[in-house]
Amino acid sequence: MAGGMDLGTGEAGKKKPLDATINLVPFIDLMAVTISFLIMTAVWTQIGRLQVASAGGEGDPTEKDDKLPPITLVLAEKEIKISVGPSQLGDAIPATRDEKGQLQLVKVQELLKKIREQIPEQNAITVQTEDGVRYEDLVRVIDECIGDEFPAVSVSPMAT
Amino acid sequence: MAIQAPGKRWGPRLARSHFFSGHHSNAKKSTNADLLITPLVDMFVIIVLFLIANFSATGEILNMTKDVQLPSASHVKELELAPVVMVTSTDVIMNGIAVARVADLSRDDYLSIPLLEERLREEKKQTEELHAAAADGRAFTGDVNIQGHKEIPFKVLKRVMFSCQNAGFGNINFAVLDSGSKSEGTKTAELVR
Repeated sequence: MAGGMDLGTGEAGKKKPLDATINLVPFIDLMAVTISFLIMTAVWTQIGRLQVASAGGEGDPTEKDDKLPPITLVLAEKEIKISVGPSQLGDAIPATRDEKGQLQLVKVQELLKKIREQIPEQNAITVQTEDGVRYEDLVRVIDECIGDEFPAVSVSPMAT
Repeated sequence: MAIQAPGKRWGPRLARSHFFSGHHSNAKKSTNADLLITPLVDMFVIIVLFLIANFSATGEILNMTKDVQLPSASHVKELELAPVVMVTSTDVIMNGIAVARVADLSRDDYLSIPLLEERLREEKKQTEELHAAAADGRAFTGDVNIQGHKEIPFKVLKRVMFSCQNAGFGNINFAVLDSGSKSEGTKTAELVR
């Protein structure tokens, strides 16, 4: 055979074919078992967690460093305010929602980025929340804070 | 009348037909049909990769019910095993037992939920005893997962958080749906690489 490899069978006329057939049946069996196992043990909902601390509690991150001005985000039903230390940053942001009813946080994001540039060492923020605020809105704000590199978020009720 | 073998019998008119009488082809078809298994194996491999990309070793930590619709977030960490306080639109539930009603919590001005605190303290005691008995050197971390319905008001949530804090569970985690900072396609691509 031209170009073929001599397998050393001893007989010049008879040579084994080089394209060996792989038995795929055990492979398919293994695949079927793996797929069954994975489907049975699959968790279809992807659930995560947002870690927060209660302001004033033992894990409150805002109490760690007194030298840096504390950042407070006041989340009310109608508006959002951000303050650095005692002074409020800009005007109150009215709480607007999209067609799905989700809180729009573009302006909050801009302000948080501005604060991040001004005080890069501060990574803690307190979210003061009004009693009537929905849990979904609070989670969106916490998520935004973490996304804007304020990973130590503490939550407290709004002072009345 | 001659005995005929069982089988198809054409009518007299069709029996004369060259095509329908079955005499047009004398070649026998092979009974061994080759099945193409390459696409089958390809499909299996894709399914296995997709399922492995979605595989979660932690399993089901939360008991998902239709009463609780979790809010979604994108900057999330992986959920860890910890006591779960479920807050539905009607009840606050700890380990499958209702410890308070949301309507009552919305009405009262107290912060503490006594029954919830009691159950959490029991949980803390059990955990500490287990760690002491096992002598594994692991301390109680104070982690708690709050699985809240997205519509509950903060007035209810703050009471749950306050009770957790009072009972020694200071590391509060809100359980949320991962809205996906990474898409499934990216995860699968990473796995393949």
